[in-house]
Amino acid sequence: MLSLRILGISFTKSCTRNISALYITGDKANENYVTLQPYLDFEGTFGGRELLEQSIASRGLNINLETVLNKYQKYQAHHEQLRKVAEDREAVTKKLKELSKAGGNDDQLEQLKERGKSLRNDLKNLKQALYPIEDDFIHDYLHLPNRLHELCPTEGEEKLLYRHQVPSSTPDTLSHLANKELIHFVDNNRYYMMEQAAHFDVNAMQSLARYFVTKGDFIQTANPDFVRCVLLEANATPMDDYHMVREEHLQNKINTAYLTGGAAFESYLGAMTKLCVYPSVLPLRYVCCGRSYNRAEAELNGPSPSLYTATQSNAVQSFVATQTASDADSQLEQILNLAVDFYKAIDVPFRVVYVAAKNLTPSENLRAVLEVYAPSLKRYVCVGRVSNYGDFVSKRILFSTRREKHYDFLHLVGGPVLYTSRLIAALLEHNIKLEDCKLLGSASQEPTMQQSVQQFKDLFK
Amino acid sequence: MKLLTNAVRLRPLLLLRRQRSHDTKTARALDPPRQPVPTSAQLDELERNVKLRHHKNNIPLIRSLANEAANGSPDILKRLQLELEQLPNETHPRVLDYGEEPRELAQYKHRELPADTTIKEFSEIARALNLYRMDHLGNYTGHKSYYLMGQLATLEQAIIQYALQAVTSHGFKLISVPDILPREVIESCGMRTEGERTQVYKLDTGECLSGTSEMALAGFFANKLLTEEQLPLKVTAVSRCYRAETSGLQEEKGIYRVHQFNKVEMFAICTAEQSEAELEEFKDTEVDLFRRLGLNFRLLDMPPCELGAPAYQKYDIEAWMPGRKMWGEISSCSNCTDYQAKRLGIRYRRSSDGQVVDAHTINGTATAIPRLLIALLESYQRGDAVEIPTVLRPFMDGQELITRNKRIPETKLVKFIKA
Repeated sequence: MLSLRILGISFTKSCTRNISALYITGDKANENYVTLQPYLDFEGTFGGRELLEQSIASRGLNINLETVLNKYQKYQAHHEQLRKVAEDREAVTKKLKELSKAGGNDDQLEQLKERGKSLRNDLKNLKQALYPIEDDFIHDYLHLPNRLHELCPTEGEEKLLYRHQVPSSTPDTLSHLANKELIHFVDNNRYYMMEQAAHFDVNAMQSLARYFVTKGDFIQTANPDFVRCVLLEANATPMDDYHMVREEHLQNKINTAYLTGGAAFESYLGAMTKLCVYPSVLPLRYVCCGRSYNRAEAELNGPSPSLYTATQSNAVQSFVATQTASDADSQLEQILNLAVDFYKAIDVPFRVVYVAAKNLTPSENLRAVLEVYAPSLKRYVCVGRVSNYGDFVSKRILFSTRREKHYDFLHLVGGPVLYTSRLIAALLEHNIKLEDCKLLGSASQEPTMQQSVQQFKDLFK
Repeated sequence: MKLLTNAVRLRPLLLLRRQRSHDTKTARALDPPRQPVPTSAQLDELERNVKLRHHKNNIPLIRSLANEAANGSPDILKRLQLELEQLPNETHPRVLDYGEEPRELAQYKHRELPADTTIKEFSEIARALNLYRMDHLGNYTGHKSYYLMGQLATLEQAIIQYALQAVTSHGFKLISVPDILPREVIESCGMRTEGERTQVYKLDTGECLSGTSEMALAGFFANKLLTEEQLPLKVTAVSRCYRAETSGLQEEKGIYRVHQFNKVEMFAICTAEQSEAELEEFKDTEVDLFRRLGLNFRLLDMPPCELGAPAYQKYDIEAWMPGRKMWGEISSCSNCTDYQAKRLGIRYRRSSDGQVVDAHTINGTATAIPRLLIALLESYQRGDAVEIPTVLRPFMDGQELITRNKRIPETKLVKFIKA
């Protein structure tokens, strides 16, 4: 079995990756299929060193940029050496060809052949020597975070963007789990919802997705539930966020599958990997209904197990790709506006905040979180979040558009805008009747096109 | 109607199976260790059923264990009990002489299909409309994974709404169910979770992914003691189904057999007297769902060898898929009598005498999305577009046609981009 180096990274949320499927050096490529070659933009990354340093510090990452830069220099020096030897070898080959054609003398030819052989060996040795240097540097490089967005709070806690209703300071509220008629909770992996809770679970998800389609001009999709390790690494998703799926006949042992659910941001990446789109389709706006199985995120709402901490939830996921950073900013705003409309119509106490840099994953440059107030916990819990990834993830998965002869990497924005399980829990604790909730986007909220036409015709009767 | 003769003949054998203490948390472990050893005649009868259903024949082993059990060794009795548990359910007498072929009970033709020469297969239609992707995804989202885009994704949700509206109007109560289940719950439903060819996905925690919501629903009702007045208790669930099975068959290409899909399932718990009529109601609900969708389909009564272990009888519905030029199974419903209920401890108190007895369970598919999409798109293709069935239009903002979506990018992939 391949002896892959152990990579320990310290995100704010501790996360250890034992192996990397995203970058495989040539010496290991025989045993491990290279599925994706990320675009490594060294100049772009190290160009704005101060910003990168600030990002590392604000996120509280245990990364010494000086060490990484030293490794980079070593990597560059070796690459330069390799390039020179390859060039020399090519020159010798060319000369040899010319001499043979011109009928040069045997001694000269023999000398050149020997030189060629020696250069070939040098090249081989240099390549072998480069692999560990490359391995060491590239993996550190891939752990460097995205730069921060100017709106991201770098110090202290979150920054409030919007608030709907101030939660009343009521005495202790019973947990939603007390409602045995509607909720049967076994553990974080297993719960059942009955009657109006079950209907709300499906209707709220379908309605919000439809609202994004009809009001926001989003395109609806249905996505796969498994995402392989290579994409989680590309997205810098902590590996313990999701359950790993044990596959019987796994061809590529380091590229295992994880159960993310179709309504996970990572699930969209599968369709975008290596994709090159025409600028005419941008901004590309997608939304989907589906499951989400993010266990780590849910655990933050503990410690007591409840619908707030359950791994599985129905969810609505948004995903937008834009050509520029400013387009990405306005798309994030649009997603938030649509989501705010939805929660306002339900009329539950909620707020939108930008989370502090220390809570971001390395690929995010900004994250806005939609939080509803959970009376039993006496705090806000996340029911959705929208992140800006800049072109950080696109470069890793090669998601681009062509501009003349160049590839522009797309700016990505998105995230789940609804976790039904947590919203239902909060609504029950607020004593809001689920069947009375106004769900924007629901088919019953507005007339269908046929009904509208009929109403129009009726005017002239 | 279940023939009395059959029930009378097999009753002693059923008693044998009833006295098991399952090694699962969910199954009953109440029966006292007093196993009557089956007689040779009873074993002959059981063997006939096993062979008829093409089930793994463990009767020779049971015979030898039964002989050894005479000395009363607890180990032997335990092994005998475990082997008896492996036996399949009884078989409905109506299907005993079917041989190996299902019997076609009816054909429903609701749609005139376009000429053979112009008919396309699902993936061809969906790709041409730019609404589906299945290629080059194995390394990223797994083998046979797929994306539905635009109106095709909306159609999926419309089908779910349509099915839910129909089944809830038939008295089924909606339940949200978990997809991650303990191994024991899945095994109690008659599915193996170990071995080379298991259809069940396992997670790093040792838990399993549900193959159908019937498993989660069965787990929900496990060890529940109901009253007769509560029966028939009918529930429905929308769930994600995960199946590790794979297929290299040409006729099962594309999304015909996939590892993940959405399904609306129906499940009922009822009394022994109700179960046959209940199965007929399941069948009628299914027939009505597909009739209103305007599909051409046939109703099959399945032969013993197609029943699996738990079913006593089973109907399949196969839709005509004109692009594939084949009948494809889009739905089924089974009466499992008390086979599952015994393993799961689902019982009720009989009103007449207050006795606690095993319930019967019925399960059926209202809609399983991928194959229904195949049948719908292939049947409703109209030139470069696809007509949306009338009953689904209210769930799709009154849209009548599915057309090519130019806002969805075509699949143009790069190999690598040089820095």
